[in-house]
Amino acid sequence: MSVRLLKYAFIEDHAEQPWFGTAGPLRDSYDVVIIGAGGHGLACAYYLAHDHGITNVAVLDRSYLGGGNTGRNTTIIRSNYLTPEGVAFYDASLALFRDLSLELDTNIFYSERGHYTLAHNESTLRTARWRAEVNKHFGIDSEVVDADAVGRAIPGIDLACGGNHAVEGALYHAPGAVARHDAVAWGYARQAVLRGVEIHQHTAVTAITTRGGRVSGVETNRGPVSAGCVLSAVAGETPRVLDMVGLTSPIEIFPLQACVTEPVKPWLDTIVVSGSLHLYVSQSARGEMVMGAALDPLEVHQRRSTFEFVSGLADQILDLFPAMATLKVNRQWAGMADMTPDFAPVMGTTPVDGFYLDAGWGTWGFKATPISGKTMAATIAAGRDHALVAPFNLRRFDDFRLVGEKGAAAIGH
Amino acid sequence: MKYAEFPHLGRRPYTEFAQAGVLEPEPDELAPEAVAPWVYARRSVPRERVEWWYHLPTRLWFRVRRDTASDTVLGVEAARGDER
Ligand SMILES: Cc1cc2nc3c(=O)[nH]c(=O)nc-3n(C[C@H](O)[C@H](O)[C@H](O)COP(=O)(O)OP(=O)(O)OC[C@H]3O[C@@H](n4cnc5c(N)ncnc54)[C@H](O)[C@@H]3O)c2cc1C
Repeated sequence: MSVRLLKYAFIEDHAEQPWFGTAGPLRDSYDVVIIGAGGHGLACAYYLAHDHGITNVAVLDRSYLGGGNTGRNTTIIRSNYLTPEGVAFYDASLALFRDLSLELDTNIFYSERGHYTLAHNESTLRTARWRAEVNKHFGIDSEVVDADAVGRAIPGIDLACGGNHAVEGALYHAPGAVARHDAVAWGYARQAVLRGVEIHQHTAVTAITTRGGRVSGVETNRGPVSAGCVLSAVAGETPRVLDMVGLTSPIEIFPLQACVTEPVKPWLDTIVVSGSLHLYVSQSARGEMVMGAALDPLEVHQRRSTFEFVSGLADQILDLFPAMATLKVNRQWAGMADMTPDFAPVMGTTPVDGFYLDAGWGTWGFKATPISGKTMAATIAAGRDHALVAPFNLRRFDDFRLVGEKGAAAIGH
Repeated sequence: MKYAEFPHLGRRPYTEFAQAGVLEPEPDELAPEAVAPWVYARRSVPRERVEWWYHLPTRLWFRVRRDTASDTVLGVEAARGDER
């Protein structure tokens, strides 16, 4: 990258070249069709080509590349989860993230900030201790710190929290990071296209065709396409795609909103999360305060923003950071979170042969983009679940073998 | 703020209610293999559906028909005292 930067300083024309050309006509047939050009679908396409030499692949998106939850998320990356299955999975993702700029030859602005999950009462502190112990057991840098340490590490924080719910301590996770979401999607897209994958934007899948219980292809607004393997990586639209193959799941869709303030000088270098206050905040490389809260209370299939969200968030965040009262909110937006009852994803093979699922990523799936792509590619190449995704199979809801990740996933992303 | 018209209460904002999910008739008996689907299967696609809403200030329950694509309330009925 540094050589490229040096060259950039000496050239006259600073127009960025297109990252990849537009795909030609949609062909009649591919080995693999991926529905959804979000981070997950694009990463899977890249690893299919890179790790398994499967390049006859089409990624179809009804809208534009990265325009779903990938381009709307607040990019918190961490691995201090609560279940052994979750910890192993997210830690493998962090390992991939650390080298991703080099692997994709794209600066994803991966920035390790440290991640504080604040505890305002005894029971949260107990869960923090539990998480720290599980994390340490798996070799993850995670510890419980007291309120003084929180006060020293987080400038401007009011530890009394407006006098209502004083901070008692926190779970601290040094590897907690943020990254540039668009760059992750574009980087995977470019490297996949370089290896022969086709990305067709504005191509909606309207039906999935099967023959004798096996997937045979998809119908799109641009005509039918045959394929022996179809992966659904459509996040907030998963239930609609499952309807097309006659499968059900526990996934329910709720809007999740976020906002950014006007940019200010760097003052907050860590990521701060409070489950009790239902909020989290970090400062972007551009200086904006990036903030989010809990899910909207009602199922809605729409990406509208609400005033209740910003006013509720502002009310809470000012208890924690009174000095933010002078900041103006610049933008707010929403995504559609695909929630599961155990706050763990739904991945892998399904009862329909050749139909694969990567969903249930709710409010926390950006951090899993690399490892989901890699393990789903391995799953599709082998026709059976990769060891890391096996615990997350849709089947767990028939066997009542849920992966209880709620204590670590609810607000913390 | 979104509002809807409720029997007994008149025009109230959504935020005064706790929404307790979709209304589905509870079967008297469930075969063992039907238990998991009853507990977990959802159909979270844009559609009209009937939901239980609970008015926090008055503790009254309502059946609310709502379009989950446009988030508009299409009809409200007060729940009867003997409903579960
Ligand atoms: C506000 C917000 C904040 C978040 N914060 C974090 C965070 O801090 N950390 C974290 O780890 N995660 C976070 N998440 C969650 C994370 O964004 C998602 O889990 C993740 O990005 C999902 O990626 P994806 O590629 O699976 O889905 P998406 O990026 O949503 O991509 C799905 C794509 O499928 C396409 N599609 C849908 N239906 C069809 C069809 N029928 N045919 C063709 N294409 C179709 C859509 O157009 C879309 O582009 C957040 C989410 C939101 C909304």
